[in-house]
Amino acid sequence: MSGAALSRRQAALGLLAAAMSGSLVACSEPEEEILPYVNQPEGLIPGVPQRYATALPLNGYGRGVVCTAFEGRPVKIEGNALHPASLGATDAFAEAELMQLYDPDRLRSPRRDGRPASWEVFLAELLPRLDPARGGEGLRLLTGPLTSPTLLRLIGALRERFPRMGWHTHAPIDEENARRGAELAFGRPLDLLPVLDRAEVVLCLDADPLGPGPDQIRHGRGFAAQRQARAGAARFGRLYALEPAISLTGANADHHLLARPEEFRDLAAWLAAELGAPLPRPELPEDRRRILRAVAADLAAHAGAALVLAGEALAPELHALAHWLNARLAAPVEAVAPVQGAAAPLRELVAAMRAGQVETLLILGANPAYDAPADLGFAEALRQVPFAACHGLHLDETAAACRWALPAPHALEEWGDLRARDGSAAIVQPLIRPLYGTRSAPALLGLLLGQLDLSAHEAVRATWRGDRTPEEFEAWWRRAVHDGLVPESAAPRLALPVPRLPELPPAPRQEGMVLLLRPDASTWDGSFANNAWLQECPQPLTRQVWGHAARLAPEEAARHGLTAGQVVRLEIDGRSLEVTTLLDPGVAPGVVALTLGHGRSRAGALGTGLGADAYRLRRSDALWVLPGLRLAPTGRHEPPILAQQEQQLEGEARDLLPLVTLDAALRDHEPSPQHRIDQPSLYPDFRYDAQAWAMVIDTTLCIGCNACVIACQAENNIPVIGPEEVARGRDMHWLRIDTYVQEAGGTLRPGFQPVPCMHCEQAPCEPVCPVAASVHDHEGLNVQVYNRCIGTRFCQSNCPYKVRRFNFYGYADGQEYGNRGAPVVAAQHNPEVTVRARGVMEKCTYCVQRISAARRQAEKEDRPIGPEEVVTACQAACPTRAIRFGDLSRPESDPARLRREPHHYALLGELGTRPRTTYLQRVRNPNPALEGGGA
Amino acid sequence: MSAAAPPSLPPQASYAEMVGLVADPVLERRPGRLWWIAFGVTLLLTLGFAACLAWLFIQGVGIWGVNTPVVWGFAIANFVWWLGIGHAGTLISALLLLTRQGWRASINRFAEAMTLFAATIAGLFPIMHLGRPYRFYWLLPYPNTMELWPQWRSALVWDFAAISTYIIFSILFWYWGLIPDLATMRDRAHSRLARRLYGIFALGWRGSARHWHRHDVLYRAMAALAVPLVVSVHSVVGMDFAASLMPGWQETIFPPYFVVGAMFSGFAMVLTLAVLLRWGLGLQEIITARHFDAMGKIVLAGSVAMGLSYLTEWFNAWYGGAWIERGHLRFLFTGDYAPLYFAMLVCNVLVPQLLWSGRLRRNLVVAFTVSIVVNIGMWLERILIIWNTLSHTHLPAMRHLFHPTFWDWATLGCSIGVFGCLFLCFARLLPAVAMHDLNKQLHGEKEARA
Repeated sequence: MSGAALSRRQAALGLLAAAMSGSLVACSEPEEEILPYVNQPEGLIPGVPQRYATALPLNGYGRGVVCTAFEGRPVKIEGNALHPASLGATDAFAEAELMQLYDPDRLRSPRRDGRPASWEVFLAELLPRLDPARGGEGLRLLTGPLTSPTLLRLIGALRERFPRMGWHTHAPIDEENARRGAELAFGRPLDLLPVLDRAEVVLCLDADPLGPGPDQIRHGRGFAAQRQARAGAARFGRLYALEPAISLTGANADHHLLARPEEFRDLAAWLAAELGAPLPRPELPEDRRRILRAVAADLAAHAGAALVLAGEALAPELHALAHWLNARLAAPVEAVAPVQGAAAPLRELVAAMRAGQVETLLILGANPAYDAPADLGFAEALRQVPFAACHGLHLDETAAACRWALPAPHALEEWGDLRARDGSAAIVQPLIRPLYGTRSAPALLGLLLGQLDLSAHEAVRATWRGDRTPEEFEAWWRRAVHDGLVPESAAPRLALPVPRLPELPPAPRQEGMVLLLRPDASTWDGSFANNAWLQECPQPLTRQVWGHAARLAPEEAARHGLTAGQVVRLEIDGRSLEVTTLLDPGVAPGVVALTLGHGRSRAGALGTGLGADAYRLRRSDALWVLPGLRLAPTGRHEPPILAQQEQQLEGEARDLLPLVTLDAALRDHEPSPQHRIDQPSLYPDFRYDAQAWAMVIDTTLCIGCNACVIACQAENNIPVIGPEEVARGRDMHWLRIDTYVQEAGGTLRPGFQPVPCMHCEQAPCEPVCPVAASVHDHEGLNVQVYNRCIGTRFCQSNCPYKVRRFNFYGYADGQEYGNRGAPVVAAQHNPEVTVRARGVMEKCTYCVQRISAARRQAEKEDRPIGPEEVVTACQAACPTRAIRFGDLSRPESDPARLRREPHHYALLGELGTRPRTTYLQRVRNPNPALEGGGA
Repeated sequence: MSAAAPPSLPPQASYAEMVGLVADPVLERRPGRLWWIAFGVTLLLTLGFAACLAWLFIQGVGIWGVNTPVVWGFAIANFVWWLGIGHAGTLISALLLLTRQGWRASINRFAEAMTLFAATIAGLFPIMHLGRPYRFYWLLPYPNTMELWPQWRSALVWDFAAISTYIIFSILFWYWGLIPDLATMRDRAHSRLARRLYGIFALGWRGSARHWHRHDVLYRAMAALAVPLVVSVHSVVGMDFAASLMPGWQETIFPPYFVVGAMFSGFAMVLTLAVLLRWGLGLQEIITARHFDAMGKIVLAGSVAMGLSYLTEWFNAWYGGAWIERGHLRFLFTGDYAPLYFAMLVCNVLVPQLLWSGRLRRNLVVAFTVSIVVNIGMWLERILIIWNTLSHTHLPAMRHLFHPTFWDWATLGCSIGVFGCLFLCFARLLPAVAMHDLNKQLHGEKEARA
């Protein structure tokens, strides 16, 4: 896999050259005009980072980001507040794109049958096959889901040139059911955008708006808008979730009901009937009827602000029924024309390949040899294609099966454009010269169009030039690129026609076990499988790292003679796979939940061979719910690697993360001794003349998405340590999301508690350090002086929060995991933060480098530091704005304000540590009809 | 009190015989096969210890089972255990000297050697424990260009000072007591080299009345200094834990409890070594049943004190009422390490109760077995203090067990080898019993009879 490895010096020089050649000023001017510069460009100060707006794709949709680069090296990705899919925040995938960029396993040059070759040879082979006279007979194009106006424009041009060319798209995590449901209801394809910030009561029928995906940030922010538990606040939303296996949405719901997948037809029908649909009321058990009755009443009472969401795994008819319900409830839903380009599905391509009708196949940004449903037999059909070329970041399963594997640039290396879910377009601008010999997708399509020198930059500009004059266009372009958002590009909101009430299919009768497939929070569809940050990021709820597991209820496991950590064989229709088990009471009986995106055979040095490939069981007619599952214990024991082993809170330990009802939270009361922040002390208080930094985390708003964890990792050069080290309990994340389950309202409910350093006023770590490496600073930070630390580890053994992390090995300093020591990975390091050596303790610093930068700037300008000037990495990433940071000495600052809330508390306050990081209790809003007034 | 005590030495023994009994195995007899085998094995283990050290310094502390919540592991437990063992020697010498327990003469020399070796090995462990061991001297208040002093509030700084003081003091005390015997050895040695070497270290001792006077004055003065020192060292080690806020550590009982534990394990080790030495060097005349009887009583007292300490710990954890303390208590008895905890209670509290019986106290097999069991129990106690507290920390999310690695066990096993090797050398090169003290005791006993 490896090309010529560069030495550190060579890499540094290369990067310097890349910086010098002008990618740095890409913000204001296209790189072609300024290369190479002799005089230092104005505004460029070596060592001072520059920030550029761009956009990153997930499932084809763009999320606007602002990327920080030091001398041409992108080191940190943050959200773009102007972009409607980012709103200033990020998700874990966006944060981790840096590791995709700097992945040493990327494809570095074209390969012909596995051997390195040149683009010229590829051209020489490709061009003779493109005879316009044949009209594209035998020519096929397969892409991932596309929203890029430029690519869609080029494909349009291509179809004009080759009318008989076929264009297909394939997305393993598709929206086929939603699309067909909209067609059923409205008679035409539409994209429906639920507006969660206007929805006071939301019912999710196996929908996961808060889970990973291109909408996570927008929905997270919308959810948060309804969940502000503040003294004197008038409203607070309520979320119901009915699902077969607990998702992040279910974890954050006020009422959660586990139901088997085949129940949803009857559940939806009963609810619709209750809300007035002319449908026969199906037979349901009393507990189902009780909750549906309460939900229906609640939805009806909030007409205009009530919303029903159907998940992708539900049949199109149920989606249509949800649309009917939403229309009935006047739900806050917007509709736009489909943003993705419409192409033929993959199965038609496979049929054509089988029939020998495909002579030339170009695959752009898709990996169907791995992630197509197994019954299609894509990999097998691919062997019958005489000339196939696959364009992607890695030499993946598909690229390896094609004659040509073509290296693609990362989104941070090339020009492009992307639309968000609502149609808003953003220009993708490169922050770094391509690291390897890549060619962009527009350039590749240019080849097909006969424009051999088409650059992505030109292509994108041509797309957007329209009928603007050159002067107008330059001004327009600069603005669009600078802002990271094309003005007025959002798709017009369409008036929704009255939806038809669909004819419901008969309820499927399924007796046996069902396999439920879900996207993976770490690898998504498998494309992030080689991403070390994501693999090591504990997955929401299960807290598993470096792999996945078949999740099933403990009773179900006992029924099949399975114990936790045992490898089980999952068999469906003669196909089988083996995967370890995780007992999870959040899975409905008779259901096994498994995520996609693992078991890759060609992901790279880190991702290959982790977990099991669930696509092997997938069928094109059963993408998400696979009946007829048989379980066979294998007797082998391979326990999943869990970053957190105990989740249950009982007795007084429940004070660690109180789960309270809205009334109880906002009632004015004296905090309990466990939660007091002002325990008396024998030591004199510190005196502060400057800022007093503090953080307050609203656990009600924390949806457990992990964006902050990866943001912290990227910002603070936190090393990846690999599965063996995590299994030994040496997780290095400075910020972790403790996940606890506790009894509330008669059932077990989860809660998330992000835990950074508490920066205690009476810090237990400070007096025990014999060499004064752990000290209190003049702004109340508890700082760690790496140079002084000799590694006694007394500080960590005395830290009740256990937030300190020790370099047992040189994780970032000569003993890196896997190929993490490759020079190209070092390019990601934030130069503002020390890369820690072996034998020293480290921990959260409240992003002291950002505080220091703000202080320097303020001192230069002779003014105090502004109220929102310092934003920590975790705070910036948080989609729900659950993490608030600021100066406690200003009474109007966020933390000072939140500390006055009645449900504010200090974690382990009884120890008298007086933490600067404090919390708001996790508030739930149960329906009084279901919980007898709440308790 | 000593006047009423039964004689510990054979009444018919002559002074010369006694000296011969001690000096002859070193000067006259060649080491036997068993000695060579034991020496070979312990030497190999010593080399193994060097290998452990080398691998540790090359790879880092990651080779051990330490992890994020359980940041302390075998290194600290071994340190506390060895240092505990290193208590009995000085204590026997000093405390028993001050309380005029004459019978100490038979055992104080090798007990002091044991102290020296154990404390030295103990002193290595905190350094090995460090993430950056080559910076250990930063714990010293030495003048430096950074103008930085150690952080005085940290128990580790107190610890560093206490241990280094203790080791230096132990060497001096041991050596001072050895000088007259070195002169005896010089006078009795046959080879020139031996005479030379013993002579150099005897510092020209002639046995004049002035010499004896000054020797005794200083020796007694040092003994008076030694007793508070012994108590302080392990008190400070106890404070390493007690000066924290972790459940199971933050207890005011820790300093005295650690001192008692140290005495207890130290005496157990003296018992072990006494049995071995008596048999190996043929000292049946010198180390008699009376000695085992006396040491057995001390071990028994230690065991009772330990039991009381445990009870106090449990009671206070329950009586304090804090959920985290009670949770700790529950974890002791029902958690993952409960079997080890019960094993520790059996070893430290239950088994030593055999020593209530005088017959069993004087039975060498019983004494030996009990002493080994106590030492295993005391090691378990050291490691469990760390494991039970750190693996069951306040926040359930951060609870993680400690799984020892090969290198954990190797380092512990090889350190015992180092101790054995040093002790075997000591037994072959130096008089294992303080001859002058022995004869003083004999003199006293003869006079008492007369």
